[in-house]
Amino acid sequence: METRILHKDHLVPLLRRLSRNYRLVAPVRNEYGDTLYSVIHDLDSARIDLDQQPQGSLKPFFFPQSEVLCQYALDRNHDGGQTRYAFYPQLPENRPTLYFGVRSCDMMAVMYMDLIFFQSRGQDIYYARHRENAVFITIGCNHPFPNCFCNATRTGPFLEHGYDLQLTDIGEQYFVETGRARGRKIVEAWSWFFSTAGERERRAQFQAALEARGLFSSLVHVDLAIKLLEEGDEPTAVFTELSRRCQDCGGCAFICPTCTCFNIHDQPRTDDSGERVRTWDACTFRGFTRMCGDHNPVDVETQRVRKRFLHKLLHDVRHHGRTSCMGCGRCVGMCFGGVDMIRFITMMCQYEAAQETGE
Amino acid sequence: MKQTNSTPHRKNRERARQFAQMSDNIYLPCQARVDEIIRENDQVLTFVCSFEDVLCNKDFSYVPGQFMMVSMPHLGEAPISFSSSPTEGTGFRLTVRRAGRLTSAMHELKPGDQIGVRGPCGTPFPVRELEGSNLLFVGGGIGMAPLRSVVQYALANRERYGDITVLYGARTPADLCFRKEIGLWRRQGVTCLLSVDHGDENWTEHVGLVTELLDQVQVSPASDRALVCGPGIMMRFVLQKLVTLGLEPGSIWTTLERHMKCGVGICGHCHFEDRLVCWDGPVFSMAQLPDLENL
Ligand SMILES: Cc1cc2nc3c(=O)[nH]c(=O)nc-3n(C[C@H](O)[C@H](O)[C@H](O)COP(=O)(O)OP(=O)(O)OC[C@H]3O[C@@H](n4cnc5c(N)ncnc54)[C@H](O)[C@@H]3O)c2cc1C
Ligand code: SF4
Ligand code: SF4
Ligand code: FES
Repeated sequence: METRILHKDHLVPLLRRLSRNYRLVAPVRNEYGDTLYSVIHDLDSARIDLDQQPQGSLKPFFFPQSEVLCQYALDRNHDGGQTRYAFYPQLPENRPTLYFGVRSCDMMAVMYMDLIFFQSRGQDIYYARHRENAVFITIGCNHPFPNCFCNATRTGPFLEHGYDLQLTDIGEQYFVETGRARGRKIVEAWSWFFSTAGERERRAQFQAALEARGLFSSLVHVDLAIKLLEEGDEPTAVFTELSRRCQDCGGCAFICPTCTCFNIHDQPRTDDSGERVRTWDACTFRGFTRMCGDHNPVDVETQRVRKRFLHKLLHDVRHHGRTSCMGCGRCVGMCFGGVDMIRFITMMCQYEAAQETGE
Repeated sequence: MKQTNSTPHRKNRERARQFAQMSDNIYLPCQARVDEIIRENDQVLTFVCSFEDVLCNKDFSYVPGQFMMVSMPHLGEAPISFSSSPTEGTGFRLTVRRAGRLTSAMHELKPGDQIGVRGPCGTPFPVRELEGSNLLFVGGGIGMAPLRSVVQYALANRERYGDITVLYGARTPADLCFRKEIGLWRRQGVTCLLSVDHGDENWTEHVGLVTELLDQVQVSPASDRALVCGPGIMMRFVLQKLVTLGLEPGSIWTTLERHMKCGVGICGHCHFEDRLVCWDGPVFSMAQLPDLENL
């Protein structure tokens, strides 16, 4: 792996050059003080914010909250019969986009979405379009945020692979690791922005990564939770308690970088035409599994949140060999009922301990 | 809860992948024409369909147990199983019970009208693995539709299968489908036993639960394979009974129903524990079903 140094003063000029070839997306502090991954139209007025955790993830860029899949149109004969009922795909444009300042958990989440949308099953051409020409410059987290537990899900605070370029803040400079070919090309094409990394910088990077690991404020026993679930120990009481607290708002799934369930519905435009749209959906919603005649094979009262946690901690481990929780902690900040990943894991482990001591 | 990440599970996925690779846009329906409509009963119609595009007709193939995502204008899509067998000529049949908005709109269709379809989706019944066995079908209500597909398939390949027995139950005589075909099947040597919950003055066959019909047939665990489809509760009792009669869970096959949106294993709606019914199923062997509570 090649390593380089990028002086902090050179960052904006580099991004300016890159923005000629790429649409630029980075964490930007908006006028309300929120930091969100946003498209940057004007580098000079945008406030790139690498100090806060972006409130949302990259998910909406690859899998928009609402996206038209196709248009449909109908011709009728004089009896009202459907003589033509045709569908016209509406594919998104695939603009080359540079995602800058991406957190490790969010990069890992994109790689998880890849599994869902085009590796394990049929190729989802809409996702593929958004994803095709994407380049990622990630940034390691020297100071994990209060709700983060990516150390426990092994998705951060620094990445070992998956990035095109990974930056580490080492003071006046960024230490730059090149990952995939697109990252190497950037370093080659704009080589005058980068200098060679020496032993001192390498040590500084190593030190930063090491220290970061010790700075997590919450201890979350992800491995233990997986083990308990794998052993078939379902904490029924915990599910019941959490289902009771869940208000069915979908916030946890919408904020989660790896929740990718969706709905598809028709949006009429005229009597004889309309759009077929897909929108985010959430397994915590009461109607998610409801079939016609109000039959629901999933008992919603007790099982509402069960699917969400089992999917992330058990089912994905079975099918993909890893959890689909990236430890980003966003659901912790989102849920006003306190039904989040950390809460679940903590309750589950306590429940288990209580069972063992026979309390 | 025990996990059965067995080989049949993987094999199912391979089969489903075939469709996923067939089309470059898995969400895009194509146009099919309703050529003929057969009234099965008050609530159920069979639509005989073919593709508008001749090339589609030529390339199209499916295996019993698979389904189509059917579109109706402004009403989105619903999964509907093939009730025909690919051996019945080009095109396909869908047998649809009026259940809600989309299915009611289908009941307004006239011959010549177009519908949108995409598929085939899902994993079929293992028609190859079933060769050489006696086939015991147990259907309830509209659940007979996907089973009809296999019966027709087996009759078209008669020499490959042993005895064929069809046990079919409905609420009342008027709720039975495929009455004409049942007569044809009987003439071809298929044992058909019918049952209704409530009979009428003309009803001469069994009154009661479809499970009771199982007492009237000889089940030989070594050579029989069972194919079951119907409402969840009926399936539970039938499956349990088949096991007490000595059938191995691995030789009992069912097709499950779930809320579906994408039909291709991505949207998450049809989850059944760690499986997706549209992708890992809808056909499952009983050995793949950890518990029968939530069918
Ligand atoms: C694999 C499979 C094969 C099927 N084969 C047949 C068949 O051969 N013949 C037949 O008559 N029916 C079949 N069904 C059931 C059929 O799909 C439902 O009856 C139909 O979706 C009802 O739609 P509706 O709009 O008329 O009902 P509504 O009551 O208006 O809508 C029901 C609500 O449930 C949602 N929904 C989504 N998927 C389903 C589902 N699978 N079942 C019920 N509701 C669903 C709808 O989007 C809607 O929100 C099958 C279902 C599955 C999963
Ligand atoms: S768990 Fe919390 S955030 Fe998620 S749907 Fe329920 S109330 Fe909303
Ligand atoms: S479950 Fe919560 S902590 Fe895990 S990835 Fe989703 S939002 Fe982040
Ligand atoms: S219907 Fe979308 S995953 Fe099965």
